[in-house]
This record gives sequence, structure tokens and C-alpha cells, in this order.
Amino acid sequence: MSVVEERADAPAAEQGQAPRTGRQFGPIRWVPRLMVMGALAYVFLYRIPQDDGGAAAIAADACIYAIVGISLNILIGHTGQLSLGHNGFFGIGAFAAAYSLTVRDVPFALTFVIAGLVGALFALVMGLVALRITGLYLALITLVFALTLEESLFEVEWLTNAGGGQPADRPEWLIDDANFFYFCLAFLVVAVYIDYRLLASKTGRALLALKENERVAEAFGINVTAFKLIAFVLSGTLAGVAGALLAYRIGLVTASGLGFNLALTFVLMTVVGGLGSRLGVVLGASLFASLSFLLEETWMHSVQEFLVGLASFGSEGAKANLEQYAVGFLGALGLLLTIVQFPGGIGQQFRAFFDWTFGKPFDVHALLHPQDDGPGAVEGSSVRA
Amino acid sequence: MSAVLLTAPQQMQPLALEFVVPVVSGLIQGSVYGLLGLGLVLLYKSGRIFNFAQAEIGTFSALFAAFADQGTGPFPDLPVPVAILIGLLTGVGLGLLVERVVIRPLFSAPKVTVVVATAGVLLLLVALGGFLSGPEPRSAVQIFEGDFLETSSLRVTDTGALVVVVLAVLAVLSALFFSRTRTGTAIIAVSQEPTATRLVGISVERTSALTWGIAGLLGAIAGILLSGTVGVVFPGSLTFIALVPAFTAAVLGGVTALPGAFVGGVVVGMIESFAQTNIPKDVLPGSGKVVLFVALLAVLLLRPAGLLGKET
Amino acid sequence: MSVLEVRDLAIRFGGLQALQGLNLEVNEYEIVGLIGPNGAGKTTAFNCITGFYQPNTGSVSYRGRDVTKAPPHVKAAMGFGRTFQNVGMVKSATAIDNLKTAQHAKAGYDVLSGLVGTSLTSRRERELTAKADAILDLLGLQHIRDKRVGGQSYGTLKLLELGCALATDPDILLLDEPTSGMGPDESDELGDRLLTLRREFALTMLVIEHHVPLVLRVCDHVYVLNFGRLLAEGKPSVIQTHPEVVAAYLGGEAPEALEQTQETEEDAELDRLTGQAAQHHDNPSIAAPELVEPEPSGPARRRRAAAASAAAGSAEERLRPKKRAPRKRPATTEEDESA
Repeated sequence: MSVVEERADAPAAEQGQAPRTGRQFGPIRWVPRLMVMGALAYVFLYRIPQDDGGAAAIAADACIYAIVGISLNILIGHTGQLSLGHNGFFGIGAFAAAYSLTVRDVPFALTFVIAGLVGALFALVMGLVALRITGLYLALITLVFALTLEESLFEVEWLTNAGGGQPADRPEWLIDDANFFYFCLAFLVVAVYIDYRLLASKTGRALLALKENERVAEAFGINVTAFKLIAFVLSGTLAGVAGALLAYRIGLVTASGLGFNLALTFVLMTVVGGLGSRLGVVLGASLFASLSFLLEETWMHSVQEFLVGLASFGSEGAKANLEQYAVGFLGALGLLLTIVQFPGGIGQQFRAFFDWTFGKPFDVHALLHPQDDGPGAVEGSSVRA
Repeated sequence: MSAVLLTAPQQMQPLALEFVVPVVSGLIQGSVYGLLGLGLVLLYKSGRIFNFAQAEIGTFSALFAAFADQGTGPFPDLPVPVAILIGLLTGVGLGLLVERVVIRPLFSAPKVTVVVATAGVLLLLVALGGFLSGPEPRSAVQIFEGDFLETSSLRVTDTGALVVVVLAVLAVLSALFFSRTRTGTAIIAVSQEPTATRLVGISVERTSALTWGIAGLLGAIAGILLSGTVGVVFPGSLTFIALVPAFTAAVLGGVTALPGAFVGGVVVGMIESFAQTNIPKDVLPGSGKVVLFVALLAVLLLRPAGLLGKET
Repeated sequence: MSVLEVRDLAIRFGGLQALQGLNLEVNEYEIVGLIGPNGAGKTTAFNCITGFYQPNTGSVSYRGRDVTKAPPHVKAAMGFGRTFQNVGMVKSATAIDNLKTAQHAKAGYDVLSGLVGTSLTSRRERELTAKADAILDLLGLQHIRDKRVGGQSYGTLKLLELGCALATDPDILLLDEPTSGMGPDESDELGDRLLTLRREFALTMLVIEHHVPLVLRVCDHVYVLNFGRLLAEGKPSVIQTHPEVVAAYLGGEAPEALEQTQETEEDAELDRLTGQAAQHHDNPSIAAPELVEPEPSGPARRRRAAAASAAAGSAEERLRPKKRAPRKRPATTEEDESA
């Protein structure tokens, strides 16, 4: 019927599939990159899981947090809905998995489906609320919602084994922490793929459009109501599944540790990682999951010890206090620095390196001038009210 | 309230108690929330910001007052009024500092970003409080030691009664501040039309600093009084006890109406205490929170401006 | 059968009757103009037609079907393409992404297969990109393909927005002030473009426009709104001389519109200042404008005073014919016959 239609039928290669990605294919250029990839693979796939100091369990935590980070990023980063109640979806997933496995004898694999469904259901309810209540009020409502879950549902007798905690035993083949880490990593890979597909398809574009301007989105033919709900459901599913992983990671689900602090940690790690940046969110989540371990068990411990010694003037009480609150202090400082100074977050700082590893030329400019670097980077600071 | 209770005929006691105890405890607890809510409403009214650090500013001030009272840290053992003054100054100073370091650089950022930043301030204050005081509860400054009212089933401490009075006075004062003083109207003007306000010669920066200073003071008053009613203070204590109910109180009352914080606080306190007395824990654990959540949801869905707020 | 038919449309906002008894009809392959003074209800009419507002009474029919109640996204999928008065696009996304977003309803795959990444999805995505590129070529905007939309000039934005409306694969195109922010040359060019688009895409259009020469040149039929009511309708040449229209509309506003083409330096300065003030409002890091208003010279002052009194005056005053020198007939008038 029209020129545009005809041109659309032409081979894609002619239609702007010109080499804009700037990928450089040449065997020699790939040598340093392959070395870097090899080193990363060695550290993350062999060195950490086989570590005998408990690093594998922490790495599993990092994967779980990273899945939550991706889930939260779908809501905050892509859709512009601030959720302070993600500990609710996460916790209900954990309880659902543990309860269905231990009390109802549901097969192990199926517990993940149940956790995802329950997380999705609760998120759907929040999504329906979000259709009417927006911005800061929504943030408040999600916060109160999660708090209510924590104090009521997470205390219900049949679900929580009369308050003693619901056990969730891993099957034989997952008892080894290294195996469990690989298991969590597989889930993380799927979550990353889903997030990638989301942004590469019409759904992601619809979410970005409705985040910025609902009227424009509607004029483009996007069903704003439906896609908001889709975002909530997708996010809730991922959070629920992550909760199930947590249940098997710790083996006993209790309400403590699923509270307001966790909700703040989730938002914190996502913002520090860099809203809208997949890589950043994964890195930020991993960092927050492993920070206390890193400060306790690695070379960072001696650095921390040195600084604490300086700051405490030799007082033992002050030293203990400083050590106890160091993680919280670093996290909060990271958040404030991210928001006020580096809105692109960790993702921004690592982006150039990451892109180089996968074949693009090293872009110093992107490192120095975060605001110039694509739409994702700018989104870092712009959670919409 | 107390007069009613004291003159109540003896034979009505069982029925009256069932009703009066939750009302009185709800009133005091609600005033606690309302006091904190007042600062939240001030900041929302002036800059459309939910300040997650508000309760922690109070905790920090109460911690400093307790330091001064007990002569810990850098302080000599000081009399109670001086300790309280130090606590109040801490609150004002924190308010000003937060405004300068976090809020002002984010003037043009989306409001939700600013709110996440205040959550960062909250966590930072918890950590700093922890550095200074450690996780152990510290006994709080007590303004009065006595009991205002004591019967067999009901005890109202002087501090509890003081909270109610202070909240009522502050709510009225701050409402007058916004409607009657030039500074108050300037704050409203800045929140609604920053550019135009600048053009008529009002400094947006100074107004913002002033607002946060006052909010810090309100936070400190709330913090010192609340920790007085609880008896102890530790990093994160007030955030843990009162932040979310205070938010709920502010929103229920109408987040742009200062007396709304008073009304909202009392409503929240009463809802919680009635639900907790009347719904047993094994039927519905955390019934206070559930009922509160439902109430908040209902108000936001049906009357988004809150009970006393104006529809805009 | 007409493409779009509006019957007895009325909508009220509180005490303001924004539209009353509006009837209009757009036939296949027509370009219909909707004109009227500021606040006459033109954009409100657009919002009712495209489903953003629900009218209190009246109906909107699309090719014989009653679509009054259909929500905007359904209407967009049905074939209503629209632009906004103040540029409706996803500002943080690139030009190409905007054009792909606009093809949402025609993406041809569902959410789930998008998430899984089926071969159908990747094929359709390639086709969407190709079509977006074709639109960029058509509008000569290939150079901003991968640039974020937010930083572009207003004229470019307006053009790209037209492209986005085209990308929704519209049957009828509703354009809200397509030439706002454009200079006279660009406006002329846009007129050519609209005529070309109609020819090549067999489009029907409803256009809100203030730029009189453009209206006279491209429109087949013109509706004039004033205070929410239809004041007159007819061929542009008839409307142009219609006494009531001349009184109510051309008398107050059109000479302004014509004079835009000979904008004085003070006007430009004033525009720059207000623009800067608006930017400052959104982003305080941009300096507020220096408020040293240049003393307007004689004629400009008189003209502004007249405009101000027209704006502030009562309805009767606005309807009263103004004594003015007869307008020169624009040279472009004859061209609308060729369309």
C-alpha cells in the first residue's frame, strides 16, 4: 500500500544493518580479550566455587541478590515504579517454596514454579494498586504492604511451622555448596536473558515509553494498564523464584531477615549498581551480597582493620562498633555517592571494560562522561515520580 | 481524657476499660507517630519529599542528648535541660547538613530519586550512630520521671502526657506558621513556583535550608520525647518503632495539612491499639498492621488528599 | 462513508463547557483543518476523538463504527495516528527506538514470544527496524537515527513526531499544530510534505493549525471552533471571507499569525527570554533570564496592547469586528485547488 511497506520488505541487510556496533573482528585483537574472559571464567567458575573458606555459599547469595536486582530493575529502572516492598515478594516466594516442599511434599522442581506464581500473584495485587496510586504514595504503599506481610503472613502458624521457621532441604545433588552455586548461576543466566529479551522486544520499549509519558505510550497503541501489570508480574515472578533459591540456600525460612532492612538493601544495591543497566545491577547486587564476607575473610579485612584502628584511637569498644557497622556505612555511602555524584552507578564505571571484553573498542570517553553514554546511563538518576 | 476516666462511675468500669484503655494508649502512641509525622508533612508540603531519615534524625538527637546526660563521649556530665538543648541542636544541625550535602545537589532530580537518597541518609545515620554508640540500648533522657495518672489497669507517664500536649501545640503552631508568617508563606511559594519565587527576590536555597532546619528540630523534639516514652534509644530504634506508622499518619491525615499529622497520628494509634486488643494473635498475627494497611489503601484510593488535605 | 464522523460532541470540565454540540466529518483522502482562537477547544476535541477524554454526550464514529468509548491505545491500533501540541515522544530514547516503539500495535508477536526470543520475533524485529529506517529516510532524518530525541531542536522533534505517527501505520492522521516552533520556510516545506504523504500513503488527515497560509493551501475543508462551539465550516476560501469568522477569529488572531512571518527583533528577544525561563523552570541549572525587557517600539507596543485587550476582553468584545486594513490575500491560495 505504501512506500514504507515496500521498503520494509527489502532485505534487512540493506536497511540499516550497517556495522554500527563497532565490533572489531580480527584474530589478534581477540587475544587479550580471550585472556580476560578466561581469567574471569577461572575465578568465577572454578576458583570461587572450589574455595574452602565458604566463598561458594556467598557466591550463591550474590546470584540470588542479582536475580532480585534484575527483578527490581524491571520495575524501577524500566517501568519507573518505585517498589520498597520487594522483600515481600521475595519472602513470600521463600515461604511458598519451603512450605510446598516440606509440608505438601511437592517435587523440588515444582516448588520454583509455585514460588514464582505466588510472587507473581502478590505482585499483581500491588500492580493493581499501582494503577490508581502512583509515585511516592506507591512507594509508601509497597513499603507498608511488605511490612504487613512480614508481621502478619510471615507469622502465621501453618506457614511458618508455628514460628520456628519452615525447613527447606536441598536434594542430595545440591547439598554441595559449589553445585548449589552453579544451580543459582543457571537461574541468574536465565534472568539476565529474560531482561535482555525484554529490552530487545516490544515489551521493553512499551515499558520505557509508559515510564516516561503514559499519554504518548497510549498514542503509540500501548495498553498502559496491561503493560504495567506485566512489569509487576514479571518482577514478582523473578523475586519469588529468587526467594525459593534463598529458602534452599539457608535451609530454614523465618520472618527475621525478610524485613524492612532487606527491602532497603534491595533498592540500595539496584541504585548503586545503576538503574537500567543490567551489568550494573548484577554487579551491585553481588557486591552487597558479599560485602560483609569480603570485609571479614579477604585481603580487604586487613585494610578495614588498619582504617578502623586509625579511627578508633585504640579504644576496643569503638573498634568493635566500627567493625560491626562498617558494611552499613559503606553501603549507605555508596548509595549517596551514586545518587549525588555518579548517577550511572557501578554499571557505568564497568561498562567500557565490559564492552571491550566483548569486542568493542575501549571507550575512555564513556568512562569519563557517563551522561553521554546512551539512554540507560541517563536513566540511572531518573526514577520517575 | 483523664478527667473522664477519674470521674467514671465505679460500676461502669469493666465496659469503660475495654474502651478507654485502647483509646488512651492509642492516643499516646498516636501522638508519638503524629509528632514524627509533623516533620514529614513539613518536608512534603515544602518540597514534595518523603524523608525516610526523619525518624533517624530524631534517634541521633536522642543519642546525643543521652550522651550529654550521661557524660559519655566528648561530653561532661551535664544537667538534663542542657542535654536536651544539645539534642535539639544536633537535630537542627543534621537537618541543615542533610539539606546542604544531599538535597541541594538534587534540586532538579526526580522526587523519587531524592526519596531514595533520604533512605541512604537513614542508613548512613544508623551506621554513624552505631560507630558512636554501639548496638546496645542506651537509657534515654527523661524530662519527667513521674506518672501523670495511675489506676489499677492504666498508667500514663508524665512523658506520655507531655507528648500529647507537645504534639497538639506544635501542630497548631506550625499551621499558624504557614498561614500567618512571611517565612511560612515563602516556603509554600517556593514549593509551588520556584522560578516565580526567585523572581520576587526569595532565595530558594535559603528557604530550603530553613525548612530542613525546622524539620530537623521537629525530628529532634520527636526523637527525645519518643525515646523518653520508650525508655531507651539505640541506632535505628525510632525508625524501627515509628517511621512507617508516622508515614501512614501523615498520609491518612492529609500530607499537605499540618494538623492532619495530629489527626492522622491519633487515628493510626487508635486503629492499631483497637485491632491489637480485639483480634487475637492466633487468628491474625500483626492485626494492627493489617488493619492499618487496609485503612491506608482505602484512604489513598478513595480520598487521595487524605482526611484533612485539600483536593488539588 | 466518511472515515471519521463526530456527532453532537460535548464535554464539560467543572464549570467550563469546553465543547458543545460539535459535529464534524472527515472523508476519505481529505485534509480537514480545525482552526479557532486559543482555548476554543481544538485540542480537547482531538482528545475526545482519540479517546484520551470521554465526552459527556455525543459520539465518535470511525468508518461507520461507534468508537466513542474505545480507549486511546485501542484507537491507535485501529488506525488513529496522532501528534501532540508539545511533542509526544519518548525523550530519553533514540529516534530509531521511538519509531520502533510507535509500531507497538503492529509488532506482530506477543509478549511471551518476545521474552523467549523466537525466530518469528527476531524476523519481525528486523522488519520493524527496516520500516523505522525507511521513515527516517523519507523524512530526511537518518542523521539523528541513533541520537537521543531529547536533545534535538523543536522543528526536528515535530518532524520526527510526525514520523512516529506514521509508524503507527495510521489510517487517519490527527496533527496538533504541526508547524508550531517552525519558521515560515519550514512550515511551507511541511505543507508540501503533508500533501506528499497523503498522496503516497492514501492518508486522511485532521489538522489543528494556526499558520493560516498552510491551512489555506493544504486543507480541503475547514471547521472553525470558538468557545467550544462550531462557528463555521466550509472550503478554506469561503471560510476566509466568512464574516463571523473574520470577526471572531481572523480579526483577533490571524493578523498575528501573518505577522509572525515578519517577526520583529523584540519579539524574537522576548521569545528567547520566555523560552529560557521555561527551560530554567524545568532545570534550575540553566540560568534564569535577565529580565531587562527592551522598551517596545511604537507599532509593536500598540499591537501587543490590542492583542492583550482582545485576550482579556469579554466574549462580546472579541466577537465585535475589528477595524483593520484589509488583509492581503496570500499568494498560495490557488494551490489548494490542485490538492
